[in-house]
Amino acid sequence: MSSSSDLDRQIEQLKRCEPLKESEVKVLCLKAMEILVEESNVQRVDAPVTICGDIHGQFYDMKELFKVGGDCPKTNYLFLGDFVDRGFYSVETFLLLLALKVRYPDRITLIRGNHESRQITQVYGFYDECLRKYGSVNVWRYCTDIFDYLSLSALIENKIFSVHGGLSPAISTLDQIRTIDRKQEVPHDGAMCDLLWSDPEDIVDSWGLSPRGAGYLFGGSVVTSFNHSNNIDYICRAHQLVMEGYKWMFNNQIVTVWSAPNYCYRCGNVAAILELDGNLTKQFRVFEAAPQESRGTPAKKPAPDYFL
Amino acid sequence: MMELEVDENDLKAAGAELFVDGGRRGIRINGWVIETRRHSILNSSTLQEWEQNLDTSHLPEMVFGENTLILKHLSSGTNIHFNAFDALRGWKQEALPPVEVPAAAKWKFRSKPSQQVILDYDYTFTTPYCGSGTMEIDKDPNEGERETSKETSDIHWEDCKDQIDVVALASKEPILFYDEVVLYEDELADNGVSLLTVKVRVMPSSWFLLLQFWLRVDGVLIRLRETRMHCVFGGNTNPIILRESCWRESTFQDLSAKGHPFDSGAYGDPSFISQKLPIIMHKTQKLVISS
Repeated sequence: MSSSSDLDRQIEQLKRCEPLKESEVKVLCLKAMEILVEESNVQRVDAPVTICGDIHGQFYDMKELFKVGGDCPKTNYLFLGDFVDRGFYSVETFLLLLALKVRYPDRITLIRGNHESRQITQVYGFYDECLRKYGSVNVWRYCTDIFDYLSLSALIENKIFSVHGGLSPAISTLDQIRTIDRKQEVPHDGAMCDLLWSDPEDIVDSWGLSPRGAGYLFGGSVVTSFNHSNNIDYICRAHQLVMEGYKWMFNNQIVTVWSAPNYCYRCGNVAAILELDGNLTKQFRVFEAAPQESRGTPAKKPAPDYFL
Repeated sequence: MMELEVDENDLKAAGAELFVDGGRRGIRINGWVIETRRHSILNSSTLQEWEQNLDTSHLPEMVFGENTLILKHLSSGTNIHFNAFDALRGWKQEALPPVEVPAAAKWKFRSKPSQQVILDYDYTFTTPYCGSGTMEIDKDPNEGERETSKETSDIHWEDCKDQIDVVALASKEPILFYDEVVLYEDELADNGVSLLTVKVRVMPSSWFLLLQFWLRVDGVLIRLRETRMHCVFGGNTNPIILRESCWRESTFQDLSAKGHPFDSGAYGDPSFISQKLPIIMHKTQKLVISS
């Protein structure tokens, strides 16, 4: 059993971007599993709460996020998934969020993104990073087991529905989400897939199919119908890069929040978090990437590449 | 600013000069000015303008609309440049049919919501773009420096059988200037990567650039379109630029049949597999610059 002092030390270590020992990761994950297994597919969250979008392993930029939004547990947080892949520090990013979850289970909520998946992390970086930092895939296995236990969505004061991707034609009520068996790898189709993968689409009014032949796109009338049926004010989702940090669509019925500034370390975009006070009054906090000097490694100079 | 460490002596020996000015950086050498500009991705309102101008409802997620590589030959007014807008115009014109992802097979059997719309643009953003070129012509020789007296015309590439001198390029001549510029990128909604970049290196004897379009549709297709340009500094003779364009492509299934990995994670960038992809199209052209 991890004691609070063990957890506090681990949290401080992770805040320095120092990964935990493999044995500590195993214990942390077992403890997290006990907490997450009790959560609903539509996890209830109380306001005030600060909602965060994709992080994608950009650890130092997540530290910037905590500077802007305040430390947990003083600030109550909801993270909408995609903690890992693409950035350089998925291990430290996910483990810090997980340790905070174990230490302050009622002050931070983590829901699943489409990158919290065995298949996706083997292609987009987390697997390789675990292998490089630990010399084996055990930590990747512990973490991907935890992914299966993350909630699929959150409901804030019964009024704001939060999900990583979006809606599904197989789902018209929140109760239908509650009946999903979520403890599995993200399937390639079906309601659970849609919640983590779908996107709003301006030029579609109802449902659209992506030109890839898979992946739903939903339009304004779908959101209107879902929000009305479930007595929801609006949907808050993540999943898509927004240059300005957040973007409203469909007459403010749905908002995308994006929390990875200077995405992929070159886009130059700003990021945002959405602060909701006790009355659900909204304030977007926009922030930039962490300055170079606060990152652990020096800036890479472009090597003179003798490309052919 | 990330500065390439260049030996000052090499610069002097080549009669070259580096410059940095705001977002621009570059080199003046042998009658050429070669510069790059790197900025952020386009914001939402500019993206909407581009969508209107290109008559499309979708653009890559990350359009580096202000990024560019420019190569100007001063005495002739020849200007070769690379930018996202022209590349996307090429994408729009070619309009390849969309590529299906592996899950599409299962999705055909999902019950369809009523009023389902199927989008059909080429989400891979494949482009035949080989670069942009203009020639500045002085209409009035007496007012050569005035901007208003200039007009531009397209430069003319002619097919040829010459080949870029790879042996010379493989020698480790000092690199006086190097940069890589991203023009656009799309993550294909986490189904792969589509990335258009241009790299340039300038040596005492020549400049060389590679425009590369790299596509991986996970589990389905790898496509590589490359344009190489090489210009040997010629002293008193008129410069000749060689341009080689090459389109390579293979399905994952074919790669696997040849013993290469089926795993998408193995193809994080094209260097591992590029020479093993079958050639679909290859041609060489040259541009003779007259002063």
